[in-house]
Formats: sequence, C-alpha cells, structure tokens
Amino acid sequence: MTDKSLDKALDIVSILINGGEIRKDGGSGGLYEEYAKAAEVYDIVNIIMKKLNINIYEYNYGLYITGGEGNRVFGYTNEELRKEIGVKLNRELYMCYFIMYTVMTRFYKAGNISTFTEYIKAEDVIRGTDSLLSHVLEDLKTVFSSDIEEGSFKELALTWEDMPMVITEENALRANRTSKAGFVKLTLNFMVSQGLLLEADGRYYPRDRFKALMENYYDRYKGRLYEILRGGEEDATDK
Amino acid sequence: MAEEYVLAREIIRDHEARMMNIKKYYPYFRLAEVDFFSFQGGKYGALDMGYILMAVLRFFIEENSFKEKDVTYDEYELFMRDIYKRDFELNLSSGEEKEISAYIFDIIRNDGKPFIYEYFEPVKKRRQTIRMRIIDSRIKNDIICYFITSDAIEFYLDTKEIKDESAISIAQVLLSKMIENRNFKGGTEVIKRINSEVSRLKIKKNDVLAVMGEDIVEGVKAYEEFVNTGVRWFDEEQKSFQKNMELIREALSKAEGDGGHETALQDIYELETELKKAIVKHRELLDACISLQRMADELISGAKFSRLRRSFDFTDALRLAMERDNAAALFSLLSPLLTLNIKKTFNLTSIDRLLTMPVLKEEKGEEIGETEEQEYVYEDELEEERIEENFEFIIINLLEAVLREKSIKLSMFIEGMRENYGDRILRNSDFYTLLIHMCGKNEYIVEKALEKPETFFEEYMARAVQREGTDKYSGLSFRVGNLEGEEINIPLAARISDVVIERTV
Repeated sequence: MTDKSLDKALDIVSILINGGEIRKDGGSGGLYEEYAKAAEVYDIVNIIMKKLNINIYEYNYGLYITGGEGNRVFGYTNEELRKEIGVKLNRELYMCYFIMYTVMTRFYKAGNISTFTEYIKAEDVIRGTDSLLSHVLEDLKTVFSSDIEEGSFKELALTWEDMPMVITEENALRANRTSKAGFVKLTLNFMVSQGLLLEADGRYYPRDRFKALMENYYDRYKGRLYEILRGGEEDATDK
Repeated sequence: MAEEYVLAREIIRDHEARMMNIKKYYPYFRLAEVDFFSFQGGKYGALDMGYILMAVLRFFIEENSFKEKDVTYDEYELFMRDIYKRDFELNLSSGEEKEISAYIFDIIRNDGKPFIYEYFEPVKKRRQTIRMRIIDSRIKNDIICYFITSDAIEFYLDTKEIKDESAISIAQVLLSKMIENRNFKGGTEVIKRINSEVSRLKIKKNDVLAVMGEDIVEGVKAYEEFVNTGVRWFDEEQKSFQKNMELIREALSKAEGDGGHETALQDIYELETELKKAIVKHRELLDACISLQRMADELISGAKFSRLRRSFDFTDALRLAMERDNAAALFSLLSPLLTLNIKKTFNLTSIDRLLTMPVLKEEKGEEIGETEEQEYVYEDELEEERIEENFEFIIINLLEAVLREKSIKLSMFIEGMRENYGDRILRNSDFYTLLIHMCGKNEYIVEKALEKPETFFEEYMARAVQREGTDKYSGLSFRVGNLEGEEINIPLAARISDVVIERTV
C-alpha cells in the first residue's frame, strides 16, 4: 500500500462521509477515476467503508454511500428524524415513512425492476398512498378507537383519513402537517433535501443517488430485511 | 339576446359545414339499400352491398395509394372473384361472375354519374346540391383506369380507427389526393388529424410503459400491439411525408408560376408549415418509440432475471409489515436511503445538566466499590469439557462390555451402544475420535494407566475410572486386535475397520 493510494482513498472517504459528491463528470471527477481505475485505492476505500459499516455503491459513473444496517454512529434516531422532517409526533413520522415508501414504489416495483416512471407529482403520491392504505381503511370502518394501537398501520391510516386534502386552495401544495397534500409536500421536500429526488415545476425526478441505492441495497440485503419484517430484531431507533 | 344569436348562428350559419361533413356518408347508405333479390331472379341474393362497397374501397386504397397505381377493370373483376368465393361462399360460373361484377361496378360508380344529395341552405334560403363520386375514371395510355376519390378515402377512414394499418399513412394518402385536387384547406385539416394521431401514439407509448411496469406479461402484449399498429409503419410514413412535401413544393412553384391567387398561395404556405410541424412531431415520436424499445428490452430482461433470482419485492415487503401491524418497521426499509447523519447534537437535558452541575469545593477521588473478579469460560474450554464428558462416558461403557464379555468385536460394541442410546450416538463425532485414540496402542492395563497414562486414551480412561470411584475396573486389562478386511457399515456415517477387544485379565 502506497501513501499516495491511502491519501486518495481517504480523500474519497472523507468527501463521501461529509455528504459530498464524487462523480465522473463532477468536481471530484479525478477521484472517481482513481476509485474506478486504481485497484489499491478501490480496495482501501472499500475496507474503510466496511469497517465503518457503510455501504458504497457505484452507479452511472458516481459513488454513493449509505449507513449499513444498524449503524449507530451515522444512523438517525426518531427524534433526529422528526426534527429533520419537521414533524412532532411519532405517528406523523410514520406517516412520512409511509409516504416515502409510496414514492419508492412509484419508481420501483422490486429491487431490480424499475417502473421507468420518469417523474411523479404530489397528486400521484397522494393517490398512491390512498391506494396502499385502502385495505387498512376498509378494516377501519367498524373499529373502536380504543382498539387502535400506537404505531400501528391502523393509527397511520386514521391519521391519513382524518386529514383534509388541502387546507386552503391558494396554498394547496405548501408543506404542512394538517393536510394530505401538505404532508406529501413535507415528505417530498425531505427527500429532495436527502438528495433522492430533484424538483422541477412540481415534478419530482429520481436522482442517481436514489437509483443507486434502490437498485443495489435491497436485493443485497433482502434476507435481513425480510427477517426484520417477519419479526426479527428491528432496526428502529428510539428505544 | 346574445344566446338567441348564438343559437340562430349555430343553426343557420353552421348548417352548410355540417352538410358538407355528412355528404361523405350519403353514398354508403344509398348503396347499402341495394337489394340483390331484384336482380336476375334473386340468384345473387346472398350478397350484401354494404360489405362489398367497403371491400372495394379498401382494395382501391391499397392499389391507388399504397401501390401508387390505377386500377383497371380486369383487376377489379379479379378482386371481386375472391369476395364471392371467400366471403359469401358462392360458386359462380365465370359468366355469372362477370355479370354480377359489372352490375356492382355500375352501382358503385352510379353509372358514371355523381351521387347527388340535396339539402336546404338556410343562408341563401334555397336548395343546394352536393355531388360526390366514390370511384372516378381517367384514360391512361388508351386504357380506362379507375381510382378512388378523396371523399371516399375520407369516408373509409372515418368509419373506423384502423388498427392493423397505420392511420398516419392512410391520412397521408388522403392528403396527397387533396393536394392533387388543390384542396389545400382540406389538406391542412388532414394534417391536423395526422398530428392528433401522432400525439395519440405518444400517449399510447407512455401507457404501454406503465402497463409494462405493472405487469410484464400484459405489458409485452400491449407493446407488441403497439409495435404492430404504430411502429412498423414508420418507414412508410416517413416516405409519405417526403412525398407530400414534394407535392406541396410542386403546387407552390406551379401556383407562383401561374401568378396564382393570393388566398391559394396563403393556403399552400399554411399547409406547408403544418406539414413541417407534423414531420418534426413524427420524428419525436420515432425517438420516443426507440427509447420505448430500449426500456422494454430492459424490463423484459429484468423480469427474466428476476425469475431466476428473486428480487426484493416492495409490495410484498409492505404486506409483511402490515401483517405485523407495526408502522415503525418501515424505518428499516427506508433507512438505507437516508444520508449519513453527521450532525451530532447533545441532548437538551444533558446540556441542562452540564449548565446546572454544582461545582464542588474540593475534588473527590473516584470511588471504586468492591468488585468481584469474573470468570470467563472460553469457547475451547467448553469444547474440551464436552469431549472429556463424551470420552469418559464411552470408555466406561467399553470397560463394562469388556468386563462382561471375554472378547467383543467393535461392531458388536457399536451395535450395543446404538441399542442403548439410540442413533444419536452414531452421529457423535467424539465417539469416532475416541476409537481412533483407542487403536493407537495394542494393549491396555487399567492399573498402569492409572499410575502413569501414556496415551490420550489412557489419560481419559484413568480419569473415567477415577471419577466412577469404584475398584471393579482396576484389575482389568485388554488387547485390541486387528480383524483383517472386516468392515463396519455405519448407516449415517461411513465405513470403519472392525477390531476385536479381548480381555486378558
């Protein structure tokens, strides 16, 4: 291992961890070349990332990272996420999770199956959320409010159902926590801030970072994810 | 007042345009009433004029427009022969075929006269007459040739959205006719129709993609249909565009040369502009279709791949989360998308504690309470414990067997162990390890082993005997002898060589 390789590798790690971009056609194009062509740099970066429990993905001549499962150093607590998104209650946070998930399913059916949707609009997401929650809402027609458990999908569906579509027609698509459209906008704004989507005239396009993670992470860790979903250890934070 | 004006205007002023639009349908309904029963004693009664008319129109479009040639009467007759046989299952003699074909041709051509339709014209307050032909004729090289009129093409196109043909190509045929007939205004209308068809195909392309995203099998069907009805005509459409552009240029130079009427020139310019727009749009559609082809290929190969390798299905994952009814589980699915959390913050209560922490007057040393030393048991120690326990257990059983029998084969000993302790004992690897240790020496004297064990086996034998706390094994000694060629088949493990264990004392 040469000092030069270590130096380049640390540059790459440092830029990525600090939220910077490394793309062939971007400002750090040289570093991308180093990663792609110098085997030693590639190895060092991957070893460091592995030790830090960070996953690194190469997509469309760019490098993207995400915290590995259960990464306590770079992960978020519910409190931090609430603050980041701009909601106050856990059920509001779960609502945002659900909306984010709806957005994901608009672009990808499965880890390696893209729907080739070019962009989505807030109204698509509202419709998608309605449809994904539809059978939970169906079950809620005859339920006692005391039966609704905290953090359940029923609670989430009720939160959604009880919200008006918009508060006022003038500010229909402004982020807020009191209307469906507002909630969706709040979540979409968060996704934009996370570098997942790009907004142009109310249309939201998936960015390469989003595609890189969607197409690589889920298939690779599907066993672990299914285990969590089936009731294994959860990666939830605020405990 | 204004409403009345609008009403009157719609009734009176637009009436003529409506009638002009209706006229193309008129010949069809008149011809469809033709009754073959009244001709030649009804022997051709099975024929249906409405159907025959549509077939003849399609034949003329094919010949005139697609093959760009006029139709001779003989060609028409040949075409009709198939209709009688294939569609009406009539077996006619050649004379009969000629007779009925001539009769039909005269009817369709209305004996060479135009179909005349009269209506009341409310602006001029008098009856107007509209004339239209379906098939017209001209003389070419001393032969009478027949061709379809633009009205008839328009009528044919209006009857159905042509699925297995390109609507754009057919509309272009109509456009060529109109340019030839110097009906430039009508041509502009046709181009608008072409444009709307191009837009429809563009929308259809997105629909196909959406279906593919949802259901690959249905998507492939939709894609194939789209290719068959839209994409495969592209070459032909491009050629037609070029041909029409040529025609317009010719018309333009002719009109300019003739010092044509300004309105006519204006109409040609408009037509040219519209056609240029249509060509650009058409090219965009072609690009979109190429990208559709690429995406479709990717989707299909992705779907094929996912059949071999199960992918993470997002719908399925959500269903699982919903079954557990735990919305927090969604976090596990979303967290990979989040950026690293590099903003590190102190908890507010911690800051509060820091600020309110009382300052002590003197520094106190850290208090260390009594601690108990913890004992750790390492993995290898656990293993060793297990081995020791198993070895001692087997050795005691072996000594018991040797005490009971003067001579015992290993196979018998194994069988006895299996009977007493079940198949589990045969799956115990320690059992076989001990046997190997045992075969390391030919003779064992328990007393000597207790005093000074020389091998592993002796060491464990000594421990086992000591742990049992009885003297009954101390005088025991035995020999391990080889049984040449005899093997023991152990059902769940392998084959081992048999040995005999003989008590010597």
